[in-house]
This record gives sequence, structure tokens and C-alpha cells, in this order.
Amino acid sequence: MNTDTKTRDPLHPVTFEVLKNSFITSVDQMAEQMLRTCYSFVIYNRDFSNALHDAQGNSVAQGNQDIAVHVGTLHFTCKDVIRVFEGEMMPGDVYAINDPYAGGTHLSDVRLVRPIFDDDTLIGFSQSNGHWSDLGGSVPGSFDVSARDMFREAVRITPVRLFRAGEFCHDVAGMIAANTRDPGSILGDIHSQASATAVSEREILRLVRKYGRDQVLQGMDEVQDYVERAVRQRIAALPDGTWQTVDYIDRDPAKGEGMIPIHIKMTIKGDEIHYDFTGSHPTIASIYNSAPGATFSAVVAGMKTFFPDLPFNSGFFRTVSISAPENSVVSAQWPVAVTGFLMPFEKIMNSIFEMWSQIMPERAIACAFNLEYLLAGGRDLRTPEKPIFMFYEWLPGGWGGRNGKDGSDVTSACFGVGLQSQPNEGNERVNPTRTTEFQILRDSAGPGKWRGGTGLQKTSLLLDSEDAVMSYICDRERAVVWGVEGGLPSMPHGLSIRRAGEAQAKWLGSVFSDYPVHTGDEFARPTAGGGGFGDPLERDPQAVCTDVIDDYVSIDRAAKDYGVVIREIDADLCEYAVDEDATAALRAHIRAKRKDWARMDPAEVAELYRKGEIDALDAVRRYAVILDWETGEALEKTTAQFRESFEKRTVAHWS
Amino acid sequence: MSSTRVAVDVGGTFTDICIMDEETGAIRIEKIGSTPDDPMKAVMDGVGIAGIDLSQVTMFSHGTTVATNALITRNLPRTAMVTTEGFRDVVEIRRATKEDLWDTYKDVAKPYIPRRDRLTVRERVDADGNILESLDEEGARRVAEVLKKRGVKSIAVGFMNSYVNPENERRMRAILKEVMPDVPVSLSAEIMPEIFEHERFSTAMANAVVSPVVVDYVSRLGEKLEEGGYSRELLLLHTGGGVMTPHAVRDFAARLAGSGIAAGAIASRFIGNLCGFPNTIGFDMGGTSTDVSVSYQGEPRITKDWYIEYGYPIRFPSIEVLTIGAGGGSLAWQDEGGSLRNGPQSAGAHPGPACYKNGNEVATNTDANVVLGRLGTSLAGGKITLDPALAEAAVRRTVAEPFGMDLHDAAEAIVRVANANMANAVRLLSISRGYDPRDFALCAFGGAGALHGAAIARELSIPTVIVPPSPGVTSALGCLLVDIQHDFSDSFMRRADDTDPADIEALFQRIESEARAQLKREGVEPANMVLSRTVEMMYQGQWRSLQLDAPAKVTDVDELVDAFHREHEREYNFARKDAGVSFFRVAVKAVGIVPKADLQKHPERPHTPEPLGQRPVWFDGQAHEATLYQREGLEAGAQIEGPAIIEQFDSTTVVPPGMSATVDAFMNIRIETKV
Repeated sequence: MNTDTKTRDPLHPVTFEVLKNSFITSVDQMAEQMLRTCYSFVIYNRDFSNALHDAQGNSVAQGNQDIAVHVGTLHFTCKDVIRVFEGEMMPGDVYAINDPYAGGTHLSDVRLVRPIFDDDTLIGFSQSNGHWSDLGGSVPGSFDVSARDMFREAVRITPVRLFRAGEFCHDVAGMIAANTRDPGSILGDIHSQASATAVSEREILRLVRKYGRDQVLQGMDEVQDYVERAVRQRIAALPDGTWQTVDYIDRDPAKGEGMIPIHIKMTIKGDEIHYDFTGSHPTIASIYNSAPGATFSAVVAGMKTFFPDLPFNSGFFRTVSISAPENSVVSAQWPVAVTGFLMPFEKIMNSIFEMWSQIMPERAIACAFNLEYLLAGGRDLRTPEKPIFMFYEWLPGGWGGRNGKDGSDVTSACFGVGLQSQPNEGNERVNPTRTTEFQILRDSAGPGKWRGGTGLQKTSLLLDSEDAVMSYICDRERAVVWGVEGGLPSMPHGLSIRRAGEAQAKWLGSVFSDYPVHTGDEFARPTAGGGGFGDPLERDPQAVCTDVIDDYVSIDRAAKDYGVVIREIDADLCEYAVDEDATAALRAHIRAKRKDWARMDPAEVAELYRKGEIDALDAVRRYAVILDWETGEALEKTTAQFRESFEKRTVAHWS
Repeated sequence: MSSTRVAVDVGGTFTDICIMDEETGAIRIEKIGSTPDDPMKAVMDGVGIAGIDLSQVTMFSHGTTVATNALITRNLPRTAMVTTEGFRDVVEIRRATKEDLWDTYKDVAKPYIPRRDRLTVRERVDADGNILESLDEEGARRVAEVLKKRGVKSIAVGFMNSYVNPENERRMRAILKEVMPDVPVSLSAEIMPEIFEHERFSTAMANAVVSPVVVDYVSRLGEKLEEGGYSRELLLLHTGGGVMTPHAVRDFAARLAGSGIAAGAIASRFIGNLCGFPNTIGFDMGGTSTDVSVSYQGEPRITKDWYIEYGYPIRFPSIEVLTIGAGGGSLAWQDEGGSLRNGPQSAGAHPGPACYKNGNEVATNTDANVVLGRLGTSLAGGKITLDPALAEAAVRRTVAEPFGMDLHDAAEAIVRVANANMANAVRLLSISRGYDPRDFALCAFGGAGALHGAAIARELSIPTVIVPPSPGVTSALGCLLVDIQHDFSDSFMRRADDTDPADIEALFQRIESEARAQLKREGVEPANMVLSRTVEMMYQGQWRSLQLDAPAKVTDVDELVDAFHREHEREYNFARKDAGVSFFRVAVKAVGIVPKADLQKHPERPHTPEPLGQRPVWFDGQAHEATLYQREGLEAGAQIEGPAIIEQFDSTTVVPPGMSATVDAFMNIRIETKV
């Protein structure tokens, strides 16, 4: 608790409530301003966040619609701005920072911070954080998966002044913009975000005029104490104890096969929670590392999912502590590349889902699909000027099955549920691509008593272009989206490409960059469904039949995954029926065999796969085997790791 | 008997009927319980009870919740959707977001049309409108046969890029009509010709699912009215703030969704204009929620970002209304962090506030107002009596004891938290849109609007509050005072420096001739047609456009660009004069003026009315002796000094200390807040 508040009388309850809500409204107004004036389409699709801070940089209020990945990081960057500019700030100043090593997320998230002065006294800060479309570096969109350090990734902005007493510092802004592929938009976003921070400043100064500076400052402290009190009460009501789990990143590209573990041990003691990442792997030779700020954000964002009604501010953060080994995938230091921090981020979030599911079974949930995004760039030959194009897109997928209901179908990633998917008609207008398919992927959901949500598949054709390259940022090609309580995994992530003129598609997997592509190439991106919850053999056969009618599940996989035999009566009239006897027999058969299948020699399974007798879904769901999906070679170490988890999360729960 | 105009507004609980004498402009009101199973019953019963001779009615307008309720309850006829192959799930994938970002157990509802009834055909148009693949007619026929076999009652068609070239969609409709001539077909390119497939398909889907329901309702009601002797067109209020005839309802059924919410906003705009305040904030506070709307320079603020259910946009331009969970029945509570909260949970109509004596023991805003003496204990002309002892007990238990306050401080705390929440809602619609509340009048209505209006106005520095004559039925008045209105638009995506003004002008003219044809079909005389143009523009690279008025003849693109810079500066506090500007869309609002009778005007005689008595009323921690008036007894020109309480059948107006009020020629109470 803040020590100051103990020596003064608490605010009148009405004044407190009014200030608390007005702080939040001021942040919501910033969001509104950004959404309406931004240039970066990433920001437009809601990859941004805003906050109000006290004079020490602590978060007083954050937007309720903010993207999950930023929520626990804004106070860090505000404090770094204070560290650099303390004593020389003046009204009308605005600073920029994107430094992941100072508590930011990745270089693409640029934060503008405005000190708020009442007369000459600094009373707080407003901060606006948005994901810019490009910040330079070796590839369009600034996501080079082969980068080992930040020098190849993008421009690092340690705290700099962008406005001095209201005057635009065009020299500094111009230099930043000049290091990007889209300087016009960058300058536009600077104005958009700076004007957003002014909106909050205006609101706070209005409150100061009405309630006086002292009451407003006290209100900033009290709203943090208030949230802290509420969180501590909830935690104290839970049993003390320790929970642990492990999740994986697919690989370290500099090493052989074998997944990269992130270990988490959570301890609840009294009204505090500690997360210990001991055992997590050292940083890896790709951008899939997370600096401490982003790891902290993953922890609090994961927790918030179990306290959805509580507001976020530094009071929440005070109840949580973290320890991690030095320079691990969850605690990377300068200059390790961290642009792909969201891979560890999502692993941590899902691990927290898993641990908290045991504490709060009524909110239990299995693993969600992995965020994926595609970046392609080159010259658009559709017009004579051959402009540079940048195609940058992410897709929704399925969330995990839940206790008593199926997972959410085709929903944005846990990275940020507010992140909108992009319209295909927009894609086709600005990029030389045509979408040939954008639909729910049949059988993508992890089977379970409560199945995962469905994923989808988007297939695009590259039109007239030259010098085009493509990068793909994803994971869980091997650490496949898992089920819990006996539920099954969904499917491996990964992109396939069919070259112009060829009949056969080639599997490129879940991570690559700078891959040359040409006019007429067609690339297909499936997204995984969510993991299943509970034993699929216990799913109501009628629910399986309904899924067949709506074509979420095929008749073939209804039998293989659920042991439910369905007969088509009249597809035109949507009439299908469950064959009860055949279902009972098939379920008995699967029940008798399935443990053996899940422990079968991976080499034998690989052989069946190469012969075409089983497919990738059979391999992960039935045999718990991870293969190189292009060559069909068994990945032994990876499979051993995968099976260890599968035994715990799935096999152990089968009757 | 002289001719009359009738407006009927159907709400969830009551159906309000507003009858205006064409000669005198006098208005009378009837209220009857709604009949949700068949809303038409209450409409016709109300007409009977009000003694309306339909043969003397020259205009019958109607705000209906039929479309809204059908969408909310999902009581919808089996409807199918036909899309381009590969795009069956556009309406299910949506933009993939959720309304509640953090609650993993709260889902977005499934689309109105389930996956099994979404079929596909081969066809393709590119982003420039070139037909890459003509409609696969054999496949289309096969789809039509399947849908016929399934007995679907309505069909939506959504093809990729149809907004630039609707040819394939039209061909699809022709084939569907050959097989099923009587089934309505909603084409995305005709319902909402704009880029972005989900928003367009979703609008077409909403239109298709409500079409059979609404068309059936409108035809049955039209027949009943005709039987009763009504010989004009039935007019239906839509969310854009105008009315449309049954003819247009056939094509644009989903425009009626949300019609009830629009009525209040239209009424407050009308009243504001009548009183000489072109800038009005509508503040409609009922039992469970408050609707806030803004009219600027005589026109309501319009938005295209709205929906009945999250995830399924209906992109018809609609009056922007912000609804928050604060009403007379909102509950006060202490949360686990120890903070005093108000709403959004509500005691509703049952059990209602504690003082209603139906067993609720938690304090509501109504209870707090009773404790403060602002609300009397006898409402609705004595039909409802409130128990002040129960109100007191509830305020003590819920707030006074937990927070260690005395009774009246606690009651005032409840009201002030509610007022602050509502004031924040007004701020989001006004200040954050670049409007200064000091330039506005607050029009307070709904059952509880006049109780709280003056305090909210003071909080926001709004100088004037207008309380219309019958605050509880103001929405019905909104239905009475509208014109036929349609909105047409088309995409126009081009850089300003690469635009020939003649191209914009030609597009406007094409849209306008379509608009005139529509109005003509609805029987509007050319002299009564008013078309107004708007254009949407943005800085190159921005993602949201800004709408501004366009001249009746476009000859100069630079003029529009300058106007855009100015509007951007006003709305967002900055402009980038050195940056490139693009056009995005052009739109035409087509109004068919319905000649209006004037409201009855009473001579204003400045005087101090005779009070009925006095009672102690608490403001700012002190009891004040407030003068009491009965509104029905007040005459135009009455001048009242606060503190005063003005009671009437369906509402109570509070004039706080230091403010004064007058009754104007239209019998509105105007409170000067003196801020």
C-alpha cells in the first residue's frame, strides 16, 4: 500500500468513485481518438493500449478494451521515461519509447508519453502505445525470424523527445520515420498518438479544476490501493499451495529437434502470488524470446482471465512477483532478439490457464490456438508505378474446450482478443493477392467431451508481383495445441505452398522468413482449433451429429475421434442419424486400444504416415507422435516431450 | 371532427399513443400495456381506447420493436445465405473479436443463419469489379433446389467484391426467383453497397432474417388500419431518424431494427429545434437504463457502427445512441474493494425499488430520491404509493451503515454516483467528439430524466435543461414529427489529387436519381423531396473516414479538401494540411417532407404560479424548503425559483437551489442552471 494514504483521510466515497470512473473514461477517450485517427492498420485493428499514470509512473487506469499483451508493461516504459527526463520535463512535452529491454514488449510497439502538469507541478502521465506498421530492420513489417539480436530487427527508441513544450521536434521524428519503410504513416501515427495523450491530459486537468490537485493526486493513489485490496481479497480466499506445468516452443533453429521448455511454478501464499520460471530454457537463436516486461504482462494477462471483472492498474501488479533464471526465453536481455516475444507470451498464458483451471474448475479451459501471422512484401505489378506492397495479416482460430461447454470457434488469439481479423476485400484492394478460401476448417477442433473451438483456413493466390518474399511467424507445429482432462490435441500449425503450375503443395511449417514467392503461387494457412476438454468418448453422440450436420466435423473423424458412427440420410435436408449400436461397439474398441496407440513406437507411426495410411491428425490425436510433417520423419526427442505432457493431460484422465 | 395525426410507439412495457389535432396543434396522449406476443393488438386496442376515428387520420406513424425483438429473441424464420465458394463462414468468423475481452466463458452469439443453411456457388469478381468467373448457373440452380426443398422463408446473397460489381449477385437472385418466386432475396450489393465483406454480408443477413417477420407485421397492420378507414400510407420509424412506407420495408426490413431507441433521440432533437436550441443532448432515463444522444446544428449524430447483437453489424446509418445501465431502479452496492457503485444491475419493474414494497431491500436511485424528498410518495396520479420508510431502511442498510454516513448523505451519495456515471456517458458522446457541452441544451425525459437532468447539466456546465410536457411519452412524440427518409451510398475510393470533380458529381447525380425514384414510389411529390449530399474522406493512410457535407454541385475538389482539414481539426484537435487526402464514399440522404402541423402554442404570460405547498428536500447535505407545483396546473409563462419540485402524472422535475425555471409557449419546462 502507498504509505501516503495512511496519513490523510480517505476521499469521500462519491469523490473516489467519480475520480475512478473519470480516470477510466479519460483513457477510453484516448482509445477512441487513436482508433479514429491512426494510420497503422495494426493499430486500427486494435493492437494498441493507453494508460494514465501517477507522477511516479505507476498505472492508475488502463483501457478495458486494451490488447492483452500490453497490459502489464506501460508502467515500466513510463518509469523509463521518467528515469531519462526527470527534472527537465515541461508542459507540452511528449516522449517516445519502444525499448523492450526497459519493460516494453517489442520494438514495433511504440509508446508516446506525455507528462501532465498542473501549473508547474508534475501530477501524472498519459501514455499511448500502438503497434506501428514498420520500424525498419531487415524485412518488411520488422519481423525477421532469423534475427539473433535487435540490430537486425528494427530501430530501438530509447526515450526521446518528440514534442518540446508543444513544439513538434521534426528532426527527431524525421529521423525515426526515415528508418522505416513507411515514413508517411509513421509521422501520421505520431500525431495521432500525441493527440490521444492530450485528450487524457485535458480530462485530468478538468478534474483538477473541479476537485483540486490534492484530491486528484490522492485519487490516483487510492484507485491503485482499491484494486490491490480487491485482488488480495480474492487471492486470500483461495487455498495456499503450489501448482506447476510446462509448455514448449517448437524448436531452437540453431539446434537439432527438441522443444524448448518454459517451466512455471505458481505459489499462492496468503494474499500474494509468486511465479517461478526456474528450469526454463536459455534464450534461443530466433526472435521467439521474451524480455522481463513482456513476461510480466503474460502473467498478469493470464491471471486477469480468471478475474475478468477487476480493473487493471499497478495495484493489481503489486500482488504478483516473478523469478526467472538469467537470460532465459522468458527473461531475455539486450541485445537478444525479442520481436517474437508473443510465442513465449502465449505459452505462459496457456500455462496459467492450465494451473488456474485446477484452482477454479468452473472457469477451466484447455489450450488455445497459436497466433500466426504472415508478412509478404515486394512490388505490386498491377499498376505501372509498381509500388511496394506489404501484406501483413493474422488469422483467428479456436480456443480450448471448457468445463461444460465447447471452446469458442474462430476467435482472435489470447495474445489479444480485441485484435480484429482483416477483411479479404481490403487485402485484395491493397495487395496483389486474391483469397480463394476463407472458411472454418473441418475437423480442426481438438476432440473432447467439450470440443475445442474451430480454426479456419485461408488460402491466397499471389497475383502480378516481383521481388516478393514471405515470412511466417507461428509456432505449435510441434508443441501442438493440447487438450486437458482427457481431451485431445487439435492439429499442427503450419503453412503450405503450391507453386504456380504445380499440382502438389509443399509444407513449409510454422516459421520461416525471406522465402521468395512468385506470381501464381498459392499459399494455404490453416489455424488450429482449441484443445479438447474431457474424454471425447464421453461426448454426447447427438452433439457430434449436430457438428456433422453443420460440417464442423466430418463423418470420418466423428468415428475416429469420438467413436460416433453417423449415417447420412438426406444431406439436402440436413438429415443425419447416429447409429447407436455401431457407436457403442466402436467406442468400446477405441477404449480398449487407445492407451496402446498413444504409446506405440514413433518409428512405426512415422512409417504409417509416410505410406499414407494415417494423416497428421491421426498422428497427434491417436498416437501422440510428432513428425516432420513434410518428410514424415519421426522427431524422437520432441515426441518424448509431447508424450510426457499427453500422458498427464490426457491419458491419465481416461477411464 | 377535425382531422388528426397519430403516432404509436411500442415499447417493452407500454405502447404510447400520441394524437395531434391538425387544426389546433393540441396533443393528447394515451398509454396502454404492450402485448409482446402480438404487438399489433396493443396498437389497435390503443386506437380504440383513444377513440380515434381512423377515417379522419391523415398520418399514422409507428415506431415498432418487431424487428428488434425478432433479432434479440432469435424468433426467426428459416433463412439461408448463398455466398461465393470458399466464403461460407464470413458471417461466422466476423472480425473474430469478443465483446468481453477477458471473460473466457462469455461467447459471441452464433450468426442468425446457421452454417448448415449457408451454401456456396462458384463465381468471382475482383477488387476492380472485373468478373473473373461468371456465376456457375448449374450450381446456382442446384442451390436453389436444395433451399426450396428445405422450405426456407428468406435468402441473403453475399458475393465477394459485389459492391463494385453486383452482376453475379443479381444473376443469383434471378435464378432463386425462378425456383422460389415468393421468397424474398436480400442482395448484399443492394442492401449495403460498401467494401468489407463481413459488414456487408452481416447487414444483408440481418435484413433477410427479419424481412418475413416485419413484412408480415406491416401488411397485417396496414390491413387492419385500412379496415378501420385509414386511407393513407402507414409510416414506419427507422433508426436513421425518418420514416418509410411498407413498400420500402419490403426491401430494407432491417432498417426497422432499433427503431424504438431512435424515437427518443428524434424527439429531443425536435424539441431542441422548437425551443431554438439546434444543439441538443437527449437524456432519456428510464427504469433500468439511460439513452444519450446528440444533435448538432439541428441534425442528430449518425453512426454506421451499430448492431443489435455484438459481432453482427447492421450498417444502415443510424442515430447514435449510447445506452448505459443507469436508471431509477439501478442498485447501489459496495464492491469488494470497498468502493460505492451504482448499477448496472437493476431492480427492474419487479420487484422494483425498495419503496415499491415488493420485497427488494437494496437501495436504488428511486429510493435515494425518495429519502432526499425529491420524489414524492404518490405517483401516477395516486395509482402508485411509495413507502418512504422502506426507502430509508434500504439506504441505511446498503450505504449509510457500510460507509459510516448519515442517512441523507448516503442517499445523496447514491444519486451523485449515478449522476457522475451518466455525465461520463454524455462526455463520451460530446467532449470526446469535439463538442463543448456549454453550447448545448439538455433535453431530459423518460420516467426519471427530469429528476436528474438539472444535476447532470450542472456537472457538465450545460446552461439549459428542457423538460418536455409529457416526459414519459416523449418518444411517441418523436414518431409524430418525422419525414420519410432514405440513405443511399456508394464507394468512391480515390486520392483527392487524382480526382476530377466531374466524376464525383456524376456519381452523386446517379445516386440522386435512384433516390428520387424511391421517394416517388412512396408517393412523395417532387416539391417535397429534399436531397442532401455527404462525402467521406480521410488522410491517405488513415483507416477511418470522416463525413462532411458536400455541395449541391461539386465543381472543386480543393474546397472539399479544405473542409475536411477543418472538420478533422474540430473533431480531433489536429489537422495535417501537408498530408494527402483521399475520398472513401459518397452518400445521399433523401427526405420526403411530410407536411407538419404546428404544435399548439400558448400565450406566455410571465407570472409566479401559486404553489401547492412546500416540503423539505435535501441538496448538498442540507434540507431546503422546496416549493411544490403540479405540472398539469402550470400555465405558459410561469416562473419558478429553485428549490422547487414539479410533479406530474408520469414524472417529477427537480429545480435545485440557485436555478430557476419557466414554462414556455409549448409547455416545456426550461431550467436555467446558471452555471
